[in-house]
Amino acid sequence: MKQWYSHLVEIELIIIELDKMELSKEEKLHLAHLINSSLHHVVCDAVLSQLQDKDKALFIRHLHEDNHDKIWKFLNEKVDGIEAKIKRAADDLTDELKKDLKEAKKLR
Amino acid sequence: MKFKSKRPHYEYLRKKWIARHRVIQEKIWAKHAKHLALGSLGLLLLAAPHQPITPITTLAQSREDILKGFDQNVLLAEQLGQQVPKEVKPLELREESAILSLLSQNFGFKVRAEIDSIRLNRNYGLIGGEQHLYRYPGDNLYAHADSTVDWAMYGSAGIAPGLGAWGYFANSKQELSELIKLREKYYLAIQTFLVPGYAENVDKFRNFFKFRKMLVVNPKTGQAVVAVIGDAGPAQWTGKHLGGSPEVMDALGLGTGSRKGAVLYFFIDDPKDEVLLGPIKVRSQV
Repeated sequence: MKQWYSHLVEIELIIIELDKMELSKEEKLHLAHLINSSLHHVVCDAVLSQLQDKDKALFIRHLHEDNHDKIWKFLNEKVDGIEAKIKRAADDLTDELKKDLKEAKKLR
Repeated sequence: MKFKSKRPHYEYLRKKWIARHRVIQEKIWAKHAKHLALGSLGLLLLAAPHQPITPITTLAQSREDILKGFDQNVLLAEQLGQQVPKEVKPLELREESAILSLLSQNFGFKVRAEIDSIRLNRNYGLIGGEQHLYRYPGDNLYAHADSTVDWAMYGSAGIAPGLGAWGYFANSKQELSELIKLREKYYLAIQTFLVPGYAENVDKFRNFFKFRKMLVVNPKTGQAVVAVIGDAGPAQWTGKHLGGSPEVMDALGLGTGSRKGAVLYFFIDDPKDEVLLGPIKVRSQV
């Protein structure tokens, strides 16, 4: 499922590493859900941290409507360089996930 | 999770990622909850793509909200049950006409069995699961997933070794637009070669069918998807009458088990290109 920030998150390398592992469909789905949800919260935290209090509720309302154009229009009006900030937050998390995958591979 | 795994690499990742997820969630609550009504932050969590762990605050709902969530596709299944023949066979004109009117009415756009005097060999048949298709030169299976959940859900279907009937969907990765992505995601393989008049009008028919928008409905459940014709097939000897991408099969409720089932499939008359590709719900009557 495409999220409003999907184009900023590089997950291909994580998928390649997960794909190399012996996992059942349920296991794949569970790990995938954890990654997705963690990314979502990290991205939302990065955005909320940049918004003024009065704009936070508005952002969450846009998020709930899931109108990607509306979200981006709103964020670009409110925060300078928001894309770079989201990308940095997502990259920090994906770097951690890659390290975990490296460790997990040693256990096979 | 109800199942247990003995795989140490899975257990390691599961424990580590659950713990990290919890820390991230606690951080967001601690930092932002005081600035937001609990309901707002609850909405944020509801908007999360998937919530495997933390229970979400239940929000009070009005009666109207409850009705909005009601899946009216189930009612469509009930209506179709009275029109669709028990045996999977080509529809008679009387059945076709009743079903077309039912579908057009329920979805709010024109559903047709014939456009420009061209009609398929049948509109009720067995759909089988297809693989992903290469979208551009150098494409790979991993690049098809927009998220890790996409990979977990649809990655195992694999990617077909050959190209679709119309070649690549785009000439290069740079040309890969959202629309093109959606066309591959929601594609159908249709037995265009069995369409009456095909052999005499190959060029005309090939152009007509290329990415032609179609409505596919599982009459047993009412689940429906708007898709495009992206390939020709399956061969007659397979016993199947059309094929669906992994995402199409999932949208129809046929993504697991034998990945096969009876569906209705018709053209969508959409000259202004207004009907979006993907799973579709019956127009709300509420």
